[in-house]
This record gives sequence, C-alpha cells and structure tokens, in this order.
Amino acid sequence: MRVTLIDSPLANVANIARALRAAGAELELTRDPAAIAGAKKLVLPGVGSFAAAMAWLGETSIDNAIRDAVAAGASLLGICVGHQVLFDASHEMGRTSGLGILRGEVHRFEGPLPVPQIGWNRVQSHSPLFDNIPANTPFYFVNSYAARDAEGEIASAEYNGSFTAAVQHGRVFGVQFHPEKSSRAGLRVLRNFVTWN
Amino acid sequence: MELIPSLDLLNGRVVRLTHGDFASAKVYGDAESVLDALHVPRGARLHVVDLEASRSGKPVETDIVRRLARRDLIVQVGGGIRSLDDARRWLDCGAERIVVGTAAVTSLLDALVETFGPERIVPAIDVRDGVVRTEGWTREATVNMGELFARVEALAIPEALVTDISKDGALRGPSFTLYRELRKTTRVKIIASGGVSQTSDLVSLARLGNVSGCVIGKALLEKRVDLNEAGARLATADSVPERVIPCLDVRGGRVVKGVSFENIRDAGDPVECAMRYEEEGADELVILDIEGDRSSIDTVHRVAESIFIPLTVGGGIRSVEDFRDTLRAGADRVAINTAALRRPELIAECSSEFGVQAVVVSVDAKGGYATVRGGREATDVDAIRWCRRAEELGAGEILLTSIDRDGTNSGFDIELLRAATSVLKIGVIASGGAGALDHFRDAIEAGGARAVLAASLFHDRVLTVGEVKRHLEAEGIPVR
Repeated sequence: MRVTLIDSPLANVANIARALRAAGAELELTRDPAAIAGAKKLVLPGVGSFAAAMAWLGETSIDNAIRDAVAAGASLLGICVGHQVLFDASHEMGRTSGLGILRGEVHRFEGPLPVPQIGWNRVQSHSPLFDNIPANTPFYFVNSYAARDAEGEIASAEYNGSFTAAVQHGRVFGVQFHPEKSSRAGLRVLRNFVTWN
Repeated sequence: MELIPSLDLLNGRVVRLTHGDFASAKVYGDAESVLDALHVPRGARLHVVDLEASRSGKPVETDIVRRLARRDLIVQVGGGIRSLDDARRWLDCGAERIVVGTAAVTSLLDALVETFGPERIVPAIDVRDGVVRTEGWTREATVNMGELFARVEALAIPEALVTDISKDGALRGPSFTLYRELRKTTRVKIIASGGVSQTSDLVSLARLGNVSGCVIGKALLEKRVDLNEAGARLATADSVPERVIPCLDVRGGRVVKGVSFENIRDAGDPVECAMRYEEEGADELVILDIEGDRSSIDTVHRVAESIFIPLTVGGGIRSVEDFRDTLRAGADRVAINTAALRRPELIAECSSEFGVQAVVVSVDAKGGYATVRGGREATDVDAIRWCRRAEELGAGEILLTSIDRDGTNSGFDIELLRAATSVLKIGVIASGGAGALDHFRDAIEAGGARAVLAASLFHDRVLTVGEVKRHLEAEGIPVR
C-alpha cells in the first residue's frame, strides 16, 4: 500500500519511515506540495514546537496541499505534533492557529503530575485504527500539550485528567502517542492505517 | 483507595507524637486552621484521635469533634473508647464512626457492633513485629493477630485500621510486607496507617488491593504529601505502567559487563540483545558507552535501526554537540553524567535545545555522594542534592545507580531510592543491585522508582524481562 510521508525537518522522519515500512507501507518521502496534494494516503509527523511546525507548513505551502488532499478524499494520519496541528489552534506560547481540519484546541497539561508526560500510558480506544489491539494497551507518549474531549475522539488516556490520545474525522486520523516507539501495538496502529480503506 | 487525613489532638491542638511518646509532641496549631491548610476535599473522611482520652480514658476534645463534624466531612474518632457510653458520646458529637483499639480485644467489640452496627465500628489493630499491642502500645495483647482478624470478620466489620508501630511517624515508608501478608489471611479491608512519607507510598498501598484507605498524619502536616497531587497520582496508578529497562554496557561494538565497572567480560552482540529484549517486552533500552569516548556511536545507530521502543544512550556526552550527534544516531533520550557534574549548565543547555523529555541525568551514587567516570572517581557532591539540582536545571528523568550495589545482586538500594523519589517530581530509574524478582518489586513499591534497570541479570539469562514483568503484575504493579 502506497503511503506518502511528509518529510518534515521538524520530525523524527527516519524512525517513522522505518516503522511504516515495517507495517507494510510502500513509502514516498516528499516535501513537494503537488505530490502531497495528489496523495491518497498521507502521514504527517512532528515533534517539538507547534508554532515551528505550522510555520514550516506555511512557508512550504504544504498546509494548503494537505487541505487539498483531504478535500479530494485522501486519508491522513497525524503523529504527535503532526496530530496537534490538525486542530484549530494550540495554546503553546500564546495562541497559534492550526490547520483547522479537526475541531478543537490543544492545551498544556495543567495539574500536579510532571509535564511533559514521558512514557507509556494505557489507551481506551474504539476505532478501526485500533483493530486487533486489546483495550487498555499502553502506547508511548512524550507531550506537554494535548487536546481534551476533542470532537471525533477515538482514544483517550489519563494524565492530569483525561485527554485525547487519538481522533478520527472521516478519513483523517491523529494520534498523540508515538506509534514508531510503541513496539508491536504501535506497528499494529500503523498497519491498520496503511491497510485501511 | 481513600485518603484519610489524620489529626491527633492534645490540649485542643493538632500534634504529632513519635513512637507514641507524649513528651515528643510537636504542635501544628488549632484543628480547624490546620484542616483548612490541608485542602481536604469535600465529603472526605477525617480521622481524629483524642490523645488525652487514649491515655486517661477521659474524652476531652468533644467540642472540636462537634465543630469538625458540622463540616462536609465523614469524621471517625478514636482514643480511649472503653464503654458503650464512651462510644455514644462521640457519636452524639456527630462522629460517623468510632475507632476502637484496646477495646477491640475485649468483649466490648461485640457489644459495640450489636449496638451501633458493624459499619460504624473501626477496630484499630496496632502491630509490632507481628504481635498485637494495646494500652497505648505499651502492652502485648493476649490474642494473636490471626484470632483478632477472625473475630473482626465474624462480626461482619468491613474495615480495620492496621498500624505498624515501628513505622509510625518515622516517615520511612509503610509496612507493605504486613499488609501483603494480611491479604492472604483475611478478607477484612485494611486502612493502612504509619510510615507514609511520600506520594509513591500511597500508590503502592493502593496497588496491594486489600488496602481500602490510608490514614495520613505527619506526612501531610510536614507537607511531604499533597492531597491534590496524591489524588492525581492515584488516578493513574493503574493506567501508567512501570517500566523494565535492560541496559547494554557497550565497548568496542560489543555488550560487556563487569562488577562495579571492573573485571569486564563479553556479553554478546548489541543488536541481537536489543531485538531479543524488545521481543521479551522491554519498555525501553539503555546503551551506556562504558569507555566514555563516544566510540559506540555506530553501535547506537545499528541498535536504533533494529528496535521500535525508546532508546536512551549515555557515556561520554560532554557537550550540546555530543548530545545532538547521539540523537541523530537514533537515540530518543541522552543520559549525561560526568560533564554535567563538572558543568551543571550543560543540563539546562541540552534541555532548552532538545526538550526536557530528551534529557536524562545519570547519577552514580557511592556512599551517598555522586561519582564520575563510571564510579571510579569520587566527588564531594551529595547525590540527592545533585538529583534535585538536575531536576531544577531541566532533567526529564534521573537514572540513579548505586555503585555500592552494582553487580552484587543483593537488591536495589531502597534507602537511596526513597531519598531521591521523596524530593523529586520527575521519575527515577532504579539501577544497581538487581538479583531477584522481589528486588524489582521493592524498587518500585518501597523505593518509589518509576522504572527498573538491570544488565547482567538479563544478559546472563538469570531472569528474562518477561519474568520480571509477570512478577510485577502478579504483585499488583501495572506493566505494559
């Protein structure tokens, strides 16, 4: 199955590429807006700052290319910050607008547990993205920000209260955790996305 | 598990005694202002002890109890209850439950249950070295623990307050062993009391399964435990798994292992080991370049290419550039040690450049002090103070190795771990000394560690990662 991986300089692209290949993807790695706009299956990775990620997507016009692809019926998986930018906005260092493909905003974890969250956390899920993954399976998270009760939430986890671990809106998916670091369960999520129709 | 703040009253004030000694009373203030400062959630249970009554048998703090009971709290009162009238007096003050100690071993217990119902009676059972004590802990009771619990069970009393006297007020951790033993011998739920001194103690008690509540006195008053933070930790007690981490000490492209970093011998191929450990369920891998000369960067790359779990790499990281190169080679997190001790700002620099999550500070403790160069060189830096400083500077986690225990298989250094985990908000990875399954449990349960690390034990296949995880799970500690 052909998957177009957006070659963001602000992401651990090599790890995600390796995991996607292990999950059965035939990979195209690109920064070309035209190739992205015409893709059928897209993966948007991202680590670090939300604002930096959005700035890069804007400068390269990849933001519009992603919107065009989704409008044309492509399926999309955002990972970590690539998941966060799918929303309307984030409150990391003031309010920064996101791609606005998903409704909702991303906020910092407020509460007594240390931020960032670093480590495995069990996920309650219901979606084809989590097919063949038992309830309560832990995934690996590294994040200071998260959406809460997002529209289209298909998985949640508990850290300073419940937060959105994954979303689905039509053919658009986002996961807050790192499937490429979540061993077998993570590869299963990627495989489910790669083979999903 | 219910968190039950405890107020010991003497002369109208909240006090704490050490080992039940009245002369040692430390005064914290009047009951209501102390209570306000603790931010006790509405509807919570409050444990109140009239110390004078427990000594003389004469209830004196009735006015205070009346005022506390008017708040939105479930008040249980203990102290010197030796008759039905004593009990009635407290219940008339608005107390919902009464706690009976000395009386519990007499026939009064039956009369109390018959008169007020089993739900309103909480037997307090004080234990030292497995023996029940009475009369303000001064006397050995005539019944043994098993008989006492059999009576409590027969009377359909749901909960008993169990205090390990040797642990009370000592802030060295509760008696997990006693409560675990009771899980096997009685169906009565336990309200744990004594020794709680950090939030992880509460998480560990909750995981035992038979502990339905925990009375917290000194730890709250001394601000070692915050009810809000404890509530948040308890909410994730089952959902955030604790991690088992095999460590590959690497030199010249091979995994090696020695005792206290000496007598090095070959222990296999790093890629083969890494893949086997992921297969067995390792939650993360650590690679330490024991030469400390960054000669293993190629090994790091090969291992990173062969696994799908987080990889932490340490050894010889001297600068932000070394840190970046290691991340580029495929590490998710980088551990720094010697260079950070020599120049602590390195922690802040790496943390702001790569994020808190990428920075692990490795602390090799020997005799309470931090050491450098793999334990070979002593410093005059207090190991625990150094951990706190590292956290302030932006460390995301501490890898705490006891050089004294390393390679001895005699168990993790629980005292060292508690000293660190009681003052840190960030997680601690326990390292050095693992030799048996229970050692891993103890490091998490009593030591408060959020991850356990071992090397030779896994390389030599004395234990597998899977065996350790199954054991932790059987002991109530959640694993992936």
